[in-house]
Amino acid sequence: MTDVTAGNTIATPKPQGVVTEAELASRRRRRRIWNKIGFWALLILIAVFLLFPFYWAINSSLKTEPQLRMTPATFIPRDPGTGDISITWQNYKSAFQNDTFITAIINSTIVAVSVTIIALVIGSFAGFALGKLRFRGKTPSLYLILSMTMFPQVAVLTGLYAVILNFNIPAIPSMILSYMLFTLPFTVWVLTAFFQQLPSDLLQSAQVDGATPFQSFRMILLPLTAPALVTTGLLAFIAAVNEYLFALTFTTIEPSARTVPVAIALFTGQVARQEPFGEIMAAAVLVTIPLIALVLIFQKRIIGGLTAGAVKG
Amino acid sequence: MAATTTDKQPRRKRQSMLAKGEQRLAYWLLVPTLVIILAIAFYPLGSVFYSSLTDDTFASETETSFVGLQNYSELLSLTFVELDPALDDNGQPVINPDTGEAEYQSPVEALPREPRRYREVFTFGLFGSQYVLGATDADFILAIVDTLVFTVSTIALEVVIGLGIALVLNQPFRGRGVMRAAMLVPWAILTAVSSRIWEWMFIDTRAGFFNVVFQNLGFSDGQTPFLADESFQLPAAIIIDVWKTTPFMALLLLAGLALIPDEMYEAAEVDGASKWNQFKSITFPLLKPTLAVALVFRTLDALRVFDLFQIVFAQRKYSMASFAYYELIDRQRLGYSSAASVVIFFMITIFAIFYIRGLGLANDD
Repeated sequence: MTDVTAGNTIATPKPQGVVTEAELASRRRRRRIWNKIGFWALLILIAVFLLFPFYWAINSSLKTEPQLRMTPATFIPRDPGTGDISITWQNYKSAFQNDTFITAIINSTIVAVSVTIIALVIGSFAGFALGKLRFRGKTPSLYLILSMTMFPQVAVLTGLYAVILNFNIPAIPSMILSYMLFTLPFTVWVLTAFFQQLPSDLLQSAQVDGATPFQSFRMILLPLTAPALVTTGLLAFIAAVNEYLFALTFTTIEPSARTVPVAIALFTGQVARQEPFGEIMAAAVLVTIPLIALVLIFQKRIIGGLTAGAVKG
Repeated sequence: MAATTTDKQPRRKRQSMLAKGEQRLAYWLLVPTLVIILAIAFYPLGSVFYSSLTDDTFASETETSFVGLQNYSELLSLTFVELDPALDDNGQPVINPDTGEAEYQSPVEALPREPRRYREVFTFGLFGSQYVLGATDADFILAIVDTLVFTVSTIALEVVIGLGIALVLNQPFRGRGVMRAAMLVPWAILTAVSSRIWEWMFIDTRAGFFNVVFQNLGFSDGQTPFLADESFQLPAAIIIDVWKTTPFMALLLLAGLALIPDEMYEAAEVDGASKWNQFKSITFPLLKPTLAVALVFRTLDALRVFDLFQIVFAQRKYSMASFAYYELIDRQRLGYSSAASVVIFFMITIFAIFYIRGLGLANDD
């Protein structure tokens, strides 16, 4: 794979018979062109691999029911009779009129925003303590939190569900609380690393000026961590929107609290016949576009955050 | 002398008071995190351990009783039985007229029924004899096998494809930013959404993308039930997961590649090292720590896979996690599902320890 590096590859000339300089140069040029073609072909292949399924969802979402049942399936929405391109927005209209879907978007927003805020507030407290303060029991606490990032959710599923049923806790608060299981250790871990990087002088000079450690945390260090908060917050938000196991289980007896992944998984159309894949694809596209936009806007930060969380985890 | 000591004394006292204050503050700041972890991880984990030893069920009036390790033995009991050749009425071995191979008795006849009934997980031939693997809960054993196969295959493919993509994108070219952005697309799509999209692409008529492709390539009549046919189920699940998570792997590896100084390659180039040798002696060793961490995270993720299996296969094929889910929600068997959860928990923990030891992550810091 490294062989297809673009123009910067220097072909090592092999001694073979008598070859003129000009011939060698043209051979080298030709090889370079082939390398370039191969490289771009590979790039196009990768791009198709990455984007095709989403393209297929958009394609299907713009088809009517008869168009979806056309065989073989068409790569752009075409009229079954004439074969001309014809697209419909009907699936999007139905998705917007689907109360379950709209409620799910609201539920997901409430859950994910609350989870993000709580995880950031509590996580930055712990991150500050672990990253900047000296106290006994620091190393065990760090290991505890690191091990929590590997904790399998399914291991506590029955236990949490039993508690929720016993105390009659509604599904939305249950989700918010239980999502701390995978967001909190992550935010603590990343923010601890971030606080550690900040120079200790800041804290000391603030202390000399008479600030308590908590004041210096709130007024000096916290503003400095804003970029890290944005990144970890975003990753926590996406993880919370994505969560499916707890959401599916906890909303079993409370369908009105379903979040987007559950609603998409259990999607039934306005007219319940077979699975309404056109409408499902429209809903899929609708929830994906804002997420992709969010991810692309914060691209650099996300890549940085993923690397902070995993590469040097 | 005396003056300095008296001078030092209060200062040290003040410092130790400061240190004490700092310590107290640290504890207060950690309390919320620790309380939450205790409430949503340790307490439920403890109760899962406990209920795994009972026959607890949801929504039933029957008294819960302590059953010891019975749930575990039901989940994990295995037996290997050799199958006898099938005999016809004359006592002669039956030969299948189509394949020309000897036929064997059906596994159901061979497997023990008392005290507990064993069901067939799979049959296999070894040294000319036919064996059957039986289990008291064939679904769970199959879920373990399938989850392990799924994990190993997805991780292997992700590493190979992810490394390939990372090496390509690490070259300078125009439009690199666009490609990197495109890499985030599969990652940003919700797992539930991507599962639905792929489910639709795998649908069992030519309205589905893969059936169109299979028919055009002449592999099938365009009616292949990819998601219902045993031989296509796992490959389909693997493709779906590889698509969703390879970009993540590639991004991590790309970040790792960026840490390798260009000078090393330049020096190797001067020494006349081939590209492959450069990869072997520079890229791979320096990428190993990144790869190790990515492997740990991905393996633990793959072992607890749920969304994909539950959405795409429902009860046609289980992962370990979706098995536990269905035991809990559909069959209301709280105790039994808990035991399955405990098994999953230990498997993941063993994997994590093994990985961290094996890859030397522990002495990395």
